[in-house]
Amino acid sequence: MMLQTLRVVYSAFRLAMLHWIADPQWVIPNVIAPFVFTFVALTLFREASGPFGLYAVLGGGMMGMWGNTLYSSGFAIEFEKWQGTLEEVMGTPSNLLHVIAGRSVSNALFGLTNMIAILLIASFVFRIPLGLANPALFALSIILTLLSVSALGLIFASAFVLSRYTQVFTNGLEFPIYVISGSMFPIALLPFWIHPASYILGPTWGIEALRIAAGQESISLTFWLNLGVMLLITLGYVAIAAFLFKKVEAKSRRDGTLVEA
Amino acid sequence: MTRFKKGLFLNNARVLNSFAVSRLSLGHTELSLDKAIVAEHLCKVFNITRGVLRRSKTKVVAVKDVSFAIDYGELFGLVGPNGAGKTTTIKMLTTMLIPTSGTATVLGYDIQKDVTKIRERIGFVLGGERGLYTRVNAVDNLRYFADLYGVPASVREKRIKELLQLMGLSDRAKDRVETYSKGMKQRLHLARGLINDPQLIFMDEPTIGLDPEIAKETRSMIRELVEKGRTVLLTTHYMFEADELCNRVAIIRNGEIVALDTPSGLKKYVMDASVVEVEGFGITEAEVAKFKEVPDVLAVSADLSENKQVLKIQTPKGSEIISEVQEILKASRIYDLKIKEPTLEDAYLRLVEGRVE
Repeated sequence: MMLQTLRVVYSAFRLAMLHWIADPQWVIPNVIAPFVFTFVALTLFREASGPFGLYAVLGGGMMGMWGNTLYSSGFAIEFEKWQGTLEEVMGTPSNLLHVIAGRSVSNALFGLTNMIAILLIASFVFRIPLGLANPALFALSIILTLLSVSALGLIFASAFVLSRYTQVFTNGLEFPIYVISGSMFPIALLPFWIHPASYILGPTWGIEALRIAAGQESISLTFWLNLGVMLLITLGYVAIAAFLFKKVEAKSRRDGTLVEA
Repeated sequence: MTRFKKGLFLNNARVLNSFAVSRLSLGHTELSLDKAIVAEHLCKVFNITRGVLRRSKTKVVAVKDVSFAIDYGELFGLVGPNGAGKTTTIKMLTTMLIPTSGTATVLGYDIQKDVTKIRERIGFVLGGERGLYTRVNAVDNLRYFADLYGVPASVREKRIKELLQLMGLSDRAKDRVETYSKGMKQRLHLARGLINDPQLIFMDEPTIGLDPEIAKETRSMIRELVEKGRTVLLTTHYMFEADELCNRVAIIRNGEIVALDTPSGLKKYVMDASVVEVEGFGITEAEVAKFKEVPDVLAVSADLSENKQVLKIQTPKGSEIISEVQEILKASRIYDLKIKEPTLEDAYLRLVEGRVE
């Protein structure tokens, strides 16, 4: 059962990757736009003190991941509908949640490509030292943050289908999340009343763990605490998404909203 | 030249016709083992909401009362005009929609309680060009659906190869689907519908939009599937197709089955009449409407779109009506006029118009 679930997730992940490769228009919103944004930030603040380069790289990476999650994962079910493949997918014995999960992980992973591009620009063009103190833990934090963002994508995917009004907020959600997740600067700089919104976002904790892994040689308990909280929040996202997907399928089978009758 | 290579894909031939047991109770599900499908009084009503500030709800009855049963190994046709309820019926039987009322079993499983079991065992092919991932190739499309159906990895590649060979797509297997012709896409649809080696296949207008040669190939493919022991439920708009392929045909109108019989049995419904077929030019809708008012005219159909227009009049008067035909069409040009035996299409026309006693 578990193996079959993983197989479905992998197969959906693989197909989404093939689509990304076959359709290069993803380069503009997911690589070029965050890249230009970060390039401008690096140009303006390159003389600033502190780990600015690190913030720029992490911020750029998060922008890519989040942008992709919001637009590609959020519209993953709708994409299948537009493509005319949703009925074929829903007609299989596989759970739609697992199919969209594979897509969502693939989307977040592709969003990370601009983190690599920004890392290269920061290192070779701006000569900003980024020396990662703990590369292995940094990589682990990236993987877990990516999974957390992907899980958030599942909630959006189901919410967008359940209510068309949810889609209206899509554009409005992109930049606030960069800010409140602490992607571009520490959340301590934000007003205190925004903090609760930051803390319910898994990526907020993931980014903090990434900073610790990147900047501190001796890993403190705080690093593991951040990862632990992010994992708990991610599990919460998965539980909410599983509930919403059940609602989506029940609604679709009752009202014919996803299948043409 | 047929593009299908016969006999390459062997079904498990799980034909259960020989089961002597008619109904068997297993847990909560009452299995019907002698029928592939049993639908009893299926009904589907959609609630449509309109407006944002002033919301109003209306009910649309898509399927009113549909009952039928299909034997294992049968090729069963469901025909009817657009909006009659064919697709909704198929969607209920394939577990995509929940009926508002009524019950149905598919391969012995309840369509509401045993969703996964049914989905594992059936295949479905929807007509048209959509429903495929066009940016990737045929192998990747089939591999993806094989994984979603849980086809064992050890079987998957062999089955994909066999299916592509069977459909005559081996040479283009690595090309993106967006470069395929309509016919190739339809054959890939069929391959996808067979990827889980289903016992029962639902086909919703599988030849729609195909050119005559490809449609003919598709029909021979469908016939071959039934010869290999599979059961097929087919919907179509083309009566000659239903006549050529189906063991039995159900005609659905306004969400209800109005006739169910073999094609020859359905033709008997209209044996009381002959068909006067007129080929001509300049025939207008107004003239066609006049025929509907003539006493003893049971049904009229016309194809006025081409240069050579065809008008069909069903009447028990046969050749006696010719003078009236000439009178009504005096402003048009008549090329040919024939008296024919009714076909399944003629029976269908009268049945959907409700002109059969």
